[in-house]
Amino acid sequence: MTNKHDEFGLDTYFDAGRKAVQTPSGDLMARVLADAEAQQMANVPAPAAQPGLFASLWAAIGGWPTAAGMVTATLVGIWIGISPPAPLEQITAEVLGSTDDAYLVDLLPAFGDDFVEG
Amino acid sequence: MPFDAMNDVPDDALLVLYANGDADATRALTMRLTPMVLGYAARLLNDASEAEDVAQEAMLRLWKIAPDWRQGEAKVTTWLYRVVSNLCTDRLRKKRGVALEAVPEPADDRPSASETMIEAERAAALQQALATLPERQRQAVVLRHIEGATNPEIAQILEISVEAVESLTARGKRALAAALAGRRAELGYQDDK
Repeated sequence: MTNKHDEFGLDTYFDAGRKAVQTPSGDLMARVLADAEAQQMANVPAPAAQPGLFASLWAAIGGWPTAAGMVTATLVGIWIGISPPAPLEQITAEVLGSTDDAYLVDLLPAFGDDFVEG
Repeated sequence: MPFDAMNDVPDDALLVLYANGDADATRALTMRLTPMVLGYAARLLNDASEAEDVAQEAMLRLWKIAPDWRQGEAKVTTWLYRVVSNLCTDRLRKKRGVALEAVPEPADDRPSASETMIEAERAAALQQALATLPERQRQAVVLRHIEGATNPEIAQILEISVEAVESLTARGKRALAAALAGRRAELGYQDDK
């Protein structure tokens, strides 16, 4: 780059200076490249390990919190089955042990004859 | 992407590719930027070995910042020039008082037979004269007249105003001219007029 107004008469020196370039040695280029590759390894995060099938299923059902709830519900169910509390027995008797009343409900009493007659 | 195809890719895009683990981008950036960084450091330090150390350190800092580089905010070369300027300033401050005596004198008794030799001696004389300048003037003059940076770019690199850059380069050139005044005749300067 040469100035239009070279008031100090330096352009020939600058021209010469631009041509006298220190070129990088092979050793320097190798060191820079080695640094680059080492830093690249450090910069790029390692990919996270993929979870196995069991771990995926375990996560899908909700993990430990869900499992704890399921176990509690199972144990309570078994306990009620073995030793049902008295109020429950009364309800059971009312629902299942009552007399076998049956009711016949005619949903369309008024139109029966119409259907027969067509 | 083939290595040759990287020639037209901007520096900051290559840096993003590098951060993503691209080996071709790594080589392209190394080949493209290391000579530039080394050349600038050598002109500031006047010591080939130290310039290589600074170039390696500046490039290492670039590799480290690559994952956090924000595309479009700053030019990679501007950032690198700033890093090299600061690294060289640190080194020069540590060895202040020794540098001037350590600058090699251009051999006065060599025959100036060819233009090539005259050019080499001019370059050596310029380097010696540059070494006499205060650091900031030297940085501004080298960036403007050797590296070809614009004043706004230099202002970003040196983190000063454009007016301050203009002042630094003007004072630097005046001092260079004074330092070189005694050598103009012997370096064949009149031939260029």
